[in-house]
Amino acid sequence: MKDKERGIRYVAPSLIVLTLVTVYPVLYVFYLSLHRKLLIFNISKFIALDNYLFLIRDERFWNALRNTAYFTGLSVALELLLGLGIAVLLNRSFRLKGASRAIVLIPWAIPTVVSARMWEMMFNTDFGVINYLLGVKINWLGSPFWAIHAAIFVDVWKTTPFVVILLTAGLQVIPRELYSAARIDGAGSWQMFRSVTLPLLLPVILVVLLFRTLDAFRVFDAVYVLTGGGPANSTETVSIYAYKVLFQTLQFGYGSALSLVVFFCTGSIGIFYIRLMTGRRT
Amino acid sequence: MRYLALLAVFVLIVVPNCSSEKSDSATRVRIVFKHGKISGDPEEFRLLLRHFERRNPGIAVRDETLPASTDEQHQFYVTNLEGGRADFDVFSMDVIWVPEFSRAGWLMDLSDMLPQEERLDFFPGPIRAVTFDNRIYAIPWYIDAGLLFYRKDILAKYGFKPPEKWDNLVSVSRALMSRDPGLYGFIWQGKQYEGLVCNALEFIWSNNGDIIDGDRLVINSGENIYALRFMRDLIYRYRVSPSLVTTATEEPCRHIFGKGKAVFMRNWPYAWNLFNAEDSPVKGKVGVTVLPSFKKGRSSSTLGGWQLGIYRHTKHPGEARKLIKFLISPESQKALSLAAGYNPVRKSLYRDRDLITKQPFLPGLFRVFMKARPRPVTPYYMMISQVLQPEFSAAITGIRSPAAALTSAQKQIGHILEAGHER
Amino acid sequence: MKRAGFYALLAVVMLYCAGPLAWQLITSIKLSGEIAVLPPLVSTNPTAAHYLSVFHDYSFARYILNSLIVAGSTTILSLLLGSICSFGLAKLRVPFASLVLAFILSVSMFPPIATVSPLYIIIRTLGLRDTLAALVMTHTVFSLPLTVWVLTNFFRTVPDDIYHAARIDGCRPFQVYWKIMLPLSLPAVFTTAILVFIFSWNEFLFALTFTSASARTVPVAIALFPGIHEMPWGEIAAASVIVTLPIILLVLLFQRKIVEGLTSGAVKG
Repeated sequence: MKDKERGIRYVAPSLIVLTLVTVYPVLYVFYLSLHRKLLIFNISKFIALDNYLFLIRDERFWNALRNTAYFTGLSVALELLLGLGIAVLLNRSFRLKGASRAIVLIPWAIPTVVSARMWEMMFNTDFGVINYLLGVKINWLGSPFWAIHAAIFVDVWKTTPFVVILLTAGLQVIPRELYSAARIDGAGSWQMFRSVTLPLLLPVILVVLLFRTLDAFRVFDAVYVLTGGGPANSTETVSIYAYKVLFQTLQFGYGSALSLVVFFCTGSIGIFYIRLMTGRRT
Repeated sequence: MRYLALLAVFVLIVVPNCSSEKSDSATRVRIVFKHGKISGDPEEFRLLLRHFERRNPGIAVRDETLPASTDEQHQFYVTNLEGGRADFDVFSMDVIWVPEFSRAGWLMDLSDMLPQEERLDFFPGPIRAVTFDNRIYAIPWYIDAGLLFYRKDILAKYGFKPPEKWDNLVSVSRALMSRDPGLYGFIWQGKQYEGLVCNALEFIWSNNGDIIDGDRLVINSGENIYALRFMRDLIYRYRVSPSLVTTATEEPCRHIFGKGKAVFMRNWPYAWNLFNAEDSPVKGKVGVTVLPSFKKGRSSSTLGGWQLGIYRHTKHPGEARKLIKFLISPESQKALSLAAGYNPVRKSLYRDRDLITKQPFLPGLFRVFMKARPRPVTPYYMMISQVLQPEFSAAITGIRSPAAALTSAQKQIGHILEAGHER
Repeated sequence: MKRAGFYALLAVVMLYCAGPLAWQLITSIKLSGEIAVLPPLVSTNPTAAHYLSVFHDYSFARYILNSLIVAGSTTILSLLLGSICSFGLAKLRVPFASLVLAFILSVSMFPPIATVSPLYIIIRTLGLRDTLAALVMTHTVFSLPLTVWVLTNFFRTVPDDIYHAARIDGCRPFQVYWKIMLPLSLPAVFTTAILVFIFSWNEFLFALTFTSASARTVPVAIALFPGIHEMPWGEIAAASVIVTLPIILLVLLFQRKIVEGLTSGAVKG
């Protein structure tokens, strides 16, 4: 067949728009980050690596990076555990299985902004339903300790369905015979889970971890709407810090430097996981 | 095929950028007026604008409401004005934005609208806030300042007077709280947002502290550390402020106080009318006075309020000026004060009989507004505030010591101002 | 006994997933005065006032229309571009095909925050600020990786013989794509369409940054609800219910499709 050059023509449009709207901006953002650029006052001056030198000494940046790492680690771990539990639960056969699966998808489908607003109302100290049901008066979004955990909770609630879906699919391709064989060997259900389910599910778990870690690390909407980064920046992630610098005061130079940090971190996380996955396969 | 049809629909709708306004008559000039939400009944404000249209038959005004918080409104204006193609003519600005917007070249010079003799009728604080490089870039619209609300009935019952010093407020609160354990002592706005800066400055100023003195950055001072530590102590040491103040904005405070659950509250004047509404549980029980001060300092209120400006590149400067002139006229000021409880910027109205009968505490506000202090008047204020908000929040929640928070703030603000000076 | 335990556990999970939305529904029909106090949990005197107010006072009809146009156009454009690209990758010879696919996938890992500042400048320069076109453009590109990935995987499962037979019958490659591959792949196309639509309907960062008034979408409108000093919680709840219902309906109707789409690739790959 002489369809070779044709193939390029089919792929080219997508490649071109992807390059224009994602690759080119990332190069541009790097260029911006080498400038002191205050869009408001029309100030634009090349300052080489000054923004990065300031960044290294910027306590607020390090605080944001710590928050992001903590947020990512804890929420991904919880999502995985909870998702695994629900997936195993739903993998049994029972009536209303289809309906229950659809209900589990609800949090995933709700716009992140809406879910943040919903929880914000439920976390309200005075008239929130959570305090009412627990019979306490905790200032969830006002105390630095609770606020970051509330944010993690909202993220876990919102994204667990995604984990459930992927793990359920993974569970379904595990051959039934393996379980019956294990049962004959006298394995209990915990042992079966450990020696059959977990190892065979591992590739899917890695994929889940990859997607979720990348998403959690660049978290923006949920936290931005829920707490705006407060109190005392205890929930400010790097994305939120970058966004505030970029669009509340239009400091495009330093803001770009901050947003590039998110780019490099997610890039490294992606490469790390992909190495791990391909390493396992060979 | 169906896709193509949909695509065609999409192009039809999007490309002309949805300009489907029905112009009621082609001869009228339409100007767009953007402002924050007007409190009270929105119809009253619309009536005022219709009144303007009747008087100026050639002009139609379309007014559009912006998002809630001042920070969000700021982002809206900055991104729209910066693009150089804003689609509005007249807009209202928080008192802290005017130098920034003037420096950015987005505002029309309105100095001629306020000749010297006219200027004398306005409060001095707002005039200072709208002046940049000796020109006037916006006209004050209504004025706000921080006040201390207190429960007249409770204080009277136990024989206390409204406190004039902060430590006095603490002791009165503690005494009353021990008699009624369900009561909060003093509530104020401590969430990480612009309102926290307003609150904190009142403590700082009333201890003779400041942020910027002339050209000098004086934020890391003993006076300021003392004031911030006192704010934190209100919550954690004296326990007269509940920990919910660290997330509170104006309305939650107003609700708590309005339900009769607190003795003292710091808030803006708008709360007064709401407390005295027919169905209010605290009707007739609320008093208002100036904020307390520390031993050595004097009572200080942060200046708030909104100003009207004209977009530099508007196509209808004449009509826009007419609208502003109308909105700041004594009649309109009076109407807005009656309808929405917005306080006039004209001093003469504080002697107006009608107004005083309907708003008896207005004369009392006069001396507060006369002395209300603007936040640092600099084009870099928003950047400075972005630094102050989290640092103050960290200090009052106890994440950082006040000294550490102020040291860090001094460093960051220094960096911003340095960058601004070099150009 | 064990069975009862299972159902109890299941009930807890269902309540956890659907409870918050149900609470939102309950809140949205409470009177404003009742929202700020608990108990009672459920309104004694349900009202539709907040729903009316959302349309009357906050022009939500406009925002919903905007969101529909953006999500609809994004879905169409993304599927058109993506399916053509996938066809090339799956059925035609493309040099370094796997590298190209890897590149497209890696784009899905790009954090939007890292591109938002230059995109803002570009959009402003093109005069596209506060237009729906700006959102359609960015949403289309950021949903392309997903579209290409799902469709390439699906096209690969269509036997090559069909392609060759059609070519021998005199079809040009584009005709094969348009007349044979697309119709054959309707289920996969549909699945992808749902996912892209939901992505675009829910997207916040770009919508927040590139629009200000006339092109505002629903999520941004909900995040930036106007109030004076307070949050109009009743209206927010009503608006949340309004934007969420269409999506929930999609999910309940097409649960199986969505699951297929999300897992395609992730498990096989």
